[in-house]
This record gives sequence, structure tokens and C-alpha cells, in this order.
Amino acid sequence: MNASTRTEIEALAAQWLARRDGGPWSADDDQALDAWLAADVAHRVAFLRLEAAWRQSERLQALGAGWKQAKPPPRGHWQAAPATRRDPMSPAPAHPPAKAAHGFRLRPALAVASLLLCAALVGWHWQARVQVDSMHLSTSIGNVATELLGDGSQATLASNSALEVHLSRRERRVELHHGEAIFDVAKDAGRPFVVDAGTRQIVAVGTRFSVRRDADELRVVVTEGTVQLQAADGRSDAPSSLLPAGSVARIDGSGELLRSMAVAEAERLLEWRDGLLVFKDTSLRDAAAEFNRYNVRQIVIVDAAVGALRIGGRFRWDNVDAFVRLLELGFPVQAEVQGERILLRTP
Amino acid sequence: MQCARDTWFVEEILVHEEALLRFLGRACADREEAHDLRQDIYARVYEAAATALPARPKAFLFATARNLLADRARRAKVVSIEPMGDFEPSHVLIDDVSPERWCGGRQTLRRLAEAFDQLPDRCREVVWLRRVEELSQKDVAARLGVTEKTVEKHIAKGMRLLAQYWFGGDASAGSCADVLEPSDERKHAD
Repeated sequence: MNASTRTEIEALAAQWLARRDGGPWSADDDQALDAWLAADVAHRVAFLRLEAAWRQSERLQALGAGWKQAKPPPRGHWQAAPATRRDPMSPAPAHPPAKAAHGFRLRPALAVASLLLCAALVGWHWQARVQVDSMHLSTSIGNVATELLGDGSQATLASNSALEVHLSRRERRVELHHGEAIFDVAKDAGRPFVVDAGTRQIVAVGTRFSVRRDADELRVVVTEGTVQLQAADGRSDAPSSLLPAGSVARIDGSGELLRSMAVAEAERLLEWRDGLLVFKDTSLRDAAAEFNRYNVRQIVIVDAAVGALRIGGRFRWDNVDAFVRLLELGFPVQAEVQGERILLRTP
Repeated sequence: MQCARDTWFVEEILVHEEALLRFLGRACADREEAHDLRQDIYARVYEAAATALPARPKAFLFATARNLLADRARRAKVVSIEPMGDFEPSHVLIDDVSPERWCGGRQTLRRLAEAFDQLPDRCREVVWLRRVEELSQKDVAARLGVTEKTVEKHIAKGMRLLAQYWFGGDASAGSCADVLEPSDERKHAD
């Protein structure tokens, strides 16, 4: 094949595709196209290649999020510094500045190492016109990962969590399969940000909140803006509530419990992002359960008296040994290591 | 209208285009020649997959490429052992980017943004209106005050340039030259 033939074929393939894209497209056109494709395998491969690239361009919608003008953004718009705009592709500062005051931040190496993201590109949508971008994110036990979503929002996954993101022109939808994630939602009034978490869904426009989904309980923490908590699609068995910043909602089989606290206090529930677990007058049973979310080595409470002890403090979730040592020092607790289990009992 | 072989071809073969072009580049005088070979290789691979889809697509693609280069060398009666060493596909398999790059929204979107930014102004605007604003070609024509035929041409051009960057990673103006049809920009200038 010589050069002119190749470019000619490509030009013809592009012509077919552009014409089909423009419509009207009749059965005769379809037949003529089929005949052209069947005439030479070179036609077909050129056609498939351009068709696939054109299909990819549908994802431009994800880039167009929030751009209100009729003209496309200037060149280089998406390479702009995050300081000037919410860049959907380059990492924004992982934490708000106020966070720095805590002195401890997730080490970058750890952040990278923990980026166990099997972000599978479910990109080749053959038919779903509205769906432009899907992504699967997950973390294993002991890992926390922050990932930017295509719309400029950010999701921070806690240990052992999995979710799926679907961005479309009309809506941003996240299915939280299990675990917990903090969502830092980019403002986009035209596209609500919906988190599906089993029986409930949480709707936001631009705000920060976290959703935790366990087998039997759902927890929503709002630290900025307002979100709406409502029944999942197709269910009407739960009231809809507005949760302002500082709200903590717990939902289980028996109902919803809403609490409102200072925003700073609510933030503390999300410090796992910085590698910390913060307890304040928390039962050791609950504290141990928190540690167990982040570690393969599990703390087992052997007797009820130990589980009922109230504790407080800030602990690194990746250092369960230090936590246990402190318990032994300060409380009537004795630890015994059995393989991957740490048994706590009254001495 | 997409059959399994088409899907396979797009997902398992086209994603290696950039690596393939780099591989071919070692044996080609220029980029155009590499693209010609690339097209031939695609046709061969697609045909060979008619009976059964090869289990290791990337290895199969590069084996086909090597065979084609060997055929070409024989035809040209240039018997050279040295370049054949270079064609060893195992090098490519080891050190070239694999389609992991294609996984994950961020890289995908970045690449798409780069591809989109390569388009000439008018073409870029047309693609934007069609893809993001979701206007029909007809409405795009009305919005821009040009004929529908012009819009169609811009779309066709946009597809080719996007494919060139998206799959081939080609951004050089030189390789785009054959795609541009300057007459159409001028004819319908508004």
C-alpha cells in the first residue's frame, strides 16, 4: 500500500463516519457503508480506528464540566495550575491548609504506595450516550488513597473500600460498594453529585462529606456545605433530610440517628485520611473496631469489661502495636498475640 | 454492528499504536512510511483474527510487524542482519508502555485534552459544539454560520487528528499535514 492509498482510505473512512454522525442516515446508506467496509480489510481497520477515537471524544464532556461559555476553553486550559482552577487531571493539594496545623500528614511515599487503584477504564461505551466516564476505585486493608475524579472532585478511600464513579453530563454518580470515602465535591450546580450507598443516597452539589458503608450500618459525616440524605432510587421508606456541615447521620436497620456537632469535631471523624484515628470517650470495643478496619492484624476483645473501658486520644492506625502497648500501660488490660490476632483481656 | 473481533481490535490492538509506531520508526525513513506499515499490519492482524482471536494480542501484533518488515526487506533484496536484531519484539514488550496508561480516568482525560488541543481552531470549536454542547451537525452549522458540509468536513478532520494523537501519540504538525484541507477553511470562511 502506498502513502496516498492509506491517507485516501482514512479520508474516506472519516467521511463515512462524519456523514453518519450528521444524519439523516438511511438503510441504503447503511448498506453502502457495509459494502465499502467489506470491500477491503484496510477499509475496515481504518474505519474502526477512527470510530473508536471519535467515541473517545465523547469524554470531552467530562472536561467540559462547569465550563459555561459557548466556545471551547482556550488551549492549555486543562494544563492550568490547580491554584487558578480546579484541574480535573492534576492532583490538587491533598488536604485543606488548616490540616497542616496537625503536624502530621500522610507521607507521600505511603500515599503513592497505597494507591492500589484498579482504575479500570470502562471506557468503550458502545451505546450509553450519556455516560462518559466510569472508574472503579478500591483499596486493600491498611491503605488509604486519594484520587481525582474527572469532574475535579476528589475521593479519598479509607482502608478496604471500593466504589465506582460514573460521570455524565447530567449527573455525577458514585456507588459506594463497601468501606468509607471522603468526597470533596467540585461545585457544579448543573450536575448533582450522588452517592449511592445501599438503602440511602446522598446528594450534594459542591461540598465535603464522607460516607461509610458497612454491612449493617451507614454513616454520613458532613464537614462543609449541605447534603441531602434520601432514600435510594425507587424506595420511599425513608424521609429525606438536609444535613448541614457538622452533621453526623447513622442509619441502620432500625432507623436514622442525626447528630449535629461542631465542624471541627466532625472533621476528627475523618482524620483517618491523615493516618490518624481520634477517640474521645470512646469504648475500647468501638476503638478496636476502628483499628480493625485498617489492619490485617485484628484486635479481639475477650471479655466485656475490657470492651467497656472508655478511652481517648489520637493514634496512628498503622501502628496497632503502639496502641496496644499504651493500653497495657494505662488500663487493666493484658494483651496476648496469637498469629494475626491480638487478644485483650482483664489480667 | 460491532462484532467481537472489532471490539478486540479496538481494545487489544489499537492501544499499542504508539509503541508500534516507535518500533516501526527504527526501520522507516519517516513517519508517513511508519503509518503505511502500521495500516498494513492492522489489516493483517485483523484478518488473522478471523478464525480465532490471538491469546496474546500485543505479542501477536509485534510478531506480525516483524514479519512484515522481514518480507519488505526480502522484497527490497536488502539482506542485512544488523537491523533484524533491532526488530526483536521482546525489547518492545519489556520496555514499552503498556495500556495501563489507558486505565484510569485522569490519564485518559489528560490525553484526550491534549489530543483536543491539537486541533486547528475551527475544527476544535466544531468538535466542542458537537461533543460537549451536543448540538447536531445542523445546529453547529447554524451557530457558526457555515454550511453543514463544512461542519461535516471539520468533523471528519477532527476524527483523523484525534485518532492520530489518541492512538499514535502523534502531535507533530508535519504528520498532520496530509489531513488538513486548507481549501475548505478558506472557502467557507465566515
